[in-house]
Amino acid sequence: MTQLETTLKALKSSTVEMITMAKIQLQKSKEAFLNKDQDLADEIFISEKHLNNFELRIDRDCENIFALHNPVASDLRLVIAILKVISDIERIGDHAEGIASYIMEMDKKFEKDLFEQLRFTKMYDIALQMLEMLEDAFDREDLGLARKIFKLDKSLNEIKLAAPDVITAYLRNDSEATKQALFLFSTIRKLERVGDLCKNIAEQLIFYAEAKVVKHRSEK
Amino acid sequence: MINVATKNRIKDKLFEYWGVISTLIGVVLLVVFMTDIFMEGISRIDATFFTNSPSGLKPETSGIFPALLGTLWILILTASISIPLGVGAGIYLEEYSEKNWVSSLLEINISNLAGVPSIIYGLLGLEVFVRIMGLGKSVVAGALTLSLLVLPIVIVATREAIKSVPNSIKQAAYGLGATKWQTIWTQVLPSSIGGILTGVILALSRAIGETAPLIVVGAAAYIYDAPDGLLSEYTVIPMQIYTWMPDAREAMKVNAAAGIIVLLMITLVMNGFAVYLRNRWQKKVKW
Amino acid sequence: MSEKKIMLEARNVDVFYGEFQAIKNIDMKINEKSVTAFIGPSGCGKSTFLRVLNRMNDYVEGFALRGEIEIDGEKIYRKSVKVEELRKKVGMVFQKPNPFPKSIYENVAFGLKIQGITDKAFIEERVINSLKQVALWDEVKDQLKKSALALSGGQQQRLCIARTLAVEPSVILMDEPTSALDPISTSKIEELLQDLKKKYTIVIVTHNMQQAARVSDDTAFFYMGELIEFDKTDKIFTNPSMEKTESYITGRFG
Repeated sequence: MTQLETTLKALKSSTVEMITMAKIQLQKSKEAFLNKDQDLADEIFISEKHLNNFELRIDRDCENIFALHNPVASDLRLVIAILKVISDIERIGDHAEGIASYIMEMDKKFEKDLFEQLRFTKMYDIALQMLEMLEDAFDREDLGLARKIFKLDKSLNEIKLAAPDVITAYLRNDSEATKQALFLFSTIRKLERVGDLCKNIAEQLIFYAEAKVVKHRSEK
Repeated sequence: MINVATKNRIKDKLFEYWGVISTLIGVVLLVVFMTDIFMEGISRIDATFFTNSPSGLKPETSGIFPALLGTLWILILTASISIPLGVGAGIYLEEYSEKNWVSSLLEINISNLAGVPSIIYGLLGLEVFVRIMGLGKSVVAGALTLSLLVLPIVIVATREAIKSVPNSIKQAAYGLGATKWQTIWTQVLPSSIGGILTGVILALSRAIGETAPLIVVGAAAYIYDAPDGLLSEYTVIPMQIYTWMPDAREAMKVNAAAGIIVLLMITLVMNGFAVYLRNRWQKKVKW
Repeated sequence: MSEKKIMLEARNVDVFYGEFQAIKNIDMKINEKSVTAFIGPSGCGKSTFLRVLNRMNDYVEGFALRGEIEIDGEKIYRKSVKVEELRKKVGMVFQKPNPFPKSIYENVAFGLKIQGITDKAFIEERVINSLKQVALWDEVKDQLKKSALALSGGQQQRLCIARTLAVEPSVILMDEPTSALDPISTSKIEELLQDLKKKYTIVIVTHNMQQAARVSDDTAFFYMGELIEFDKTDKIFTNPSMEKTESYITGRFG
């Protein structure tokens, strides 16, 4: 293996590691949110710094590869893809942190009923599943798996679209739950954004492996 | 105990001394010889030596005029014949002929010819030029014979000089649309002329010292006039020396020595000129 | 955007040296006023193919060509073609700078003089013009009589280019023109190429892939005598169609 090949392999591993990190953040945020767990929230805040540093480190590695190795063709596409992907992963981490910060502002636990009507946990599970698939797809460059992520994102969008009506209906019966509802809705929006970001990452993977830019095509 | 390094150094020094001594022996012998000749012959060297004809009756006034002019005639004729032929053949063999077993054979033979004893050329010249072509004992026959002698040297010198012109120069010329002959005439020859001339001069300076072949083709032992035409009889300086040597008279011995001095001087000048040319050429054309 | 005309075309070209086949079935079209790079590992045939374009291979033992090469509409491997005429249209610059051991002026004037041109004013104008085109004029204008061998390597190579330009060719072939030069001379010549391509069609063989990427509009990848891929340079270096091409340019082999 040439030096460049070894370097690129390490770069890919780091990226997959970063995805895993973001996934764990999101997992923790789900638990913290559901159980109003302050300690867990603190863990998330600390790890967020690590995630940011990780992004900076990988960014610098990419820069070095450009400067020193002058990659071309698929090597070039890989480095470009990773540069874009790490920025998206970092934003997923941001969203997890954002959700964790709501816990501070909540006064009591959430109504189970509302959760279920909003399909809140389902949404979380889908998002986490998408991240798990990304880990795998990126590691093995499995494009079929990458494409499945698009479908899941559709589900997320659907849940978010339904949310306002559900909340409005709920509040008619229980006006006390307004603050809760607002937090829940913000979180739902964040999860939907996480889904979009996962979709972007999947697109970058496909771009790298197939040099097809699928961004603006409807075939999803 | 003497170790290996010291042994090697001793061997080095021994070899150095041996080399110096060998060189010195050659140089010393030459110096001794030349001093001897000079001392014997220098008294005779004056204007009359060069302008008088040899005289058996009056050895004190004997001169080498006919021999000197004969040598000049031979030199110029031989050069006129061997240079165009030799350079032409060299160019053809190096640039135009196909490189196959025939040309390799030719190359070996030509190199060998340069080492053939000169008397053989004399015998060849006698048969072909003097007898078959009917040129008799003429200066042109002598020149033709010597040309044969000198030709292989000129051909080899030409080929070597041409070979030393880098192929990249020829490629550049071809790339610009030059024909083969244009390339040779404008690039190859001008660059190799120094080497060719050096070879030619060395060959000629050898030729003027040749006695045996000229004796065979009829250089005269006793002649009192300079050559007056291509077919006239002639003599050359070595010949003249050869004639004077057996004469027991003291004055004749001096003449012979004087003749040797003149011949040596001419040889020295020609070789010196060749060396000068070679140095100038090498400086000009530094690949 | 106007269609560029085809300056060089090869059809079904095979090249043999005796029994050995050096070039296998090459088809290629090169546009005028562009730079095309030939890349590939050692011994792949790119230099051989370059030399086929100005018939410099004619001097090699056992050389034979099958197929057709057309330059500016003219088939160049016909018996009726005079090789000297061809080379006025298709010039060549070699790997190691090879100026003649003559003055700078005489070097550039050589191509004109061997055509039989004697008009001094005409020759002088062409010499000055050529030296200007290669950005050498300012450096040597006061020393035209100086020996060309006294110039630096980079200057010598630019002189060789000027020498080629003096006969006003349509095509310039370059066989690794900067591989014997230092980086600064190399970059000067690469910049020169960007200027020259406005007037001439340039084909350059290079071992240096970055150079091919920097200077050429189109790139041809040769391997074992075959033309594996020939496309726009930016396509070849970001997303080549053939796997062999990708392996070569990413340094996996060669």
